[in-house]
Amino acid sequence: MGKVKIKKKSTFIDMTAMSDVTVLLLTFFMLTSTFLQKEPTIVYTPSSVSEEKVPVNNLVTILVSSADKGKVKEGQDPTAAEGKIFISFSGGIDSTQTAPIIRGMMLDEAVKVYNSQAKEGKKIALTPEQRKVFTETNMMGTPFEYLPTLLSKTLTEIDKEQGDMYNPYTGIPIDGNKDKNGHLNDFQIWCRAIYTVSKDLHDKNATDLGLTQEEAKAFGDLYNAITKDGTGLAIKADKDTPFATIETVFDNLQTMSLNKFSLLTALTSEEE
Amino acid sequence: MAEVAEHDSGKKKKGAQKKMTIRVDFTPMVDMNMLLITFFMLCTTMIKSQTLQITLPTNEKLQKEQQNQAKKSEAITLILDTEYNADGTPKHDEETGKTIHNVYWYQGLPDTTFQVNLLAKESFIGDTRENGVKVQQGIRKILREQNKDVMANYLELKEKWKNREISKETFDSLAKKNAADSTLTRPVVIIKPGPNTTYEALINTLDEMQINQIARYSIQMPTHVDTLLLENFQARTGETVIRPTIRQNAVY
Repeated sequence: MGKVKIKKKSTFIDMTAMSDVTVLLLTFFMLTSTFLQKEPTIVYTPSSVSEEKVPVNNLVTILVSSADKGKVKEGQDPTAAEGKIFISFSGGIDSTQTAPIIRGMMLDEAVKVYNSQAKEGKKIALTPEQRKVFTETNMMGTPFEYLPTLLSKTLTEIDKEQGDMYNPYTGIPIDGNKDKNGHLNDFQIWCRAIYTVSKDLHDKNATDLGLTQEEAKAFGDLYNAITKDGTGLAIKADKDTPFATIETVFDNLQTMSLNKFSLLTALTSEEE
Repeated sequence: MAEVAEHDSGKKKKGAQKKMTIRVDFTPMVDMNMLLITFFMLCTTMIKSQTLQITLPTNEKLQKEQQNQAKKSEAITLILDTEYNADGTPKHDEETGKTIHNVYWYQGLPDTTFQVNLLAKESFIGDTRENGVKVQQGIRKILREQNKDVMANYLELKEKWKNREISKETFDSLAKKNAADSTLTRPVVIIKPGPNTTYEALINTLDEMQINQIARYSIQMPTHVDTLLLENFQARTGETVIRPTIRQNAVY
């Protein structure tokens, strides 16, 4: 009687094909992805039937924080976290490389405007290191007075501090003043800077601004996007934020003659 | 990691060259790729946000002649307000947790004598089904009625587009033309959101303008007269009038 021999089969599975597929998928994701930009607070935008896409380039985003929906510590008023203003600048074409440039230009201009109207002793001066930290941060919102202190910290510390909505130094001050030529509040100073910088980029030569031709070209549309069609300025706010808070932002933009802007929404289909 | 496997050829001959199959084990490679894919999938935004464009009137004082005056008969004012609890806080829907909104509206100029209150109240937005028939309510109902002419043409166009008689581009441009056609009676809508109206409600209202093909609309603050009208209306209908204390950062 011959024993039936069971052949030992190798369990080796050829993974080459699998590897091919995963590499393909990986390439796809790497090429299509735009990274989520870090924002100090999460807001849920309301949905709308509008189908216009948000531009990737030449966009200034104004973020309005919402009332605290998470765990509220004892003695804290959740509405105190509401209405903090943050501002972010995306670059021109080839955003990752040009974003630091535009942030730097906006910062320089804003500091110039701030110092021109600040009292003696309140003026600020930023070191090149502090300026560099600002250009590397996507979104920031703090009073000008506190800017040098904040920018002296490490990026991790800045993130932590900006993420705390109860911190008195979080958010750009927006109260008061209805006169374009009066004493501007911090938010209006930023608005002025946005306008001036985009106008300069539109009107002046690249070399006068210390840019290469390509860099200046990348920002070419910013002026039109902000003044003509309103695609360059976007407000991002939470769906539960009361209108009174949003209105403050509207009103400040109106004061600065930036009457055209867009509101960020998520898409829903039109109900039939 | 390369695996060098010996070929099972049975007996070994002395001096014969060993035959080797070279196989590379790709499993760790796949593992690593999968990890990377997961990372990219989690870190990317595939859904891009949409935008809604608005234009606000300038703050600068204009001469009377320069202002675009809306015809009195064409103007419709929508005042958005929330329902309030007894303690003056906005009322929330128990199921969804959303703030409950109402719309108060009137046509033409406000009646400042408060003799005849033109204000009418509607629930906010949307459709309900009654016996299987869609019934519009709230803002949509108001606007459908007021913008009959434009809507009739618009629906006709849409039907054509759905039957593939015209392309999407033609449909879009014709619809735009239709909404701006000055030979038709078109209302001018003035949206006045109250201080506690949520941002979502405002966006929804702006959406209704798009859905109902309103070409001319603006967002304004409720004036003193509007507040008085609301109070007068609420007193007439016997509703409890609790005006919320307007929060400090509000600019009214």
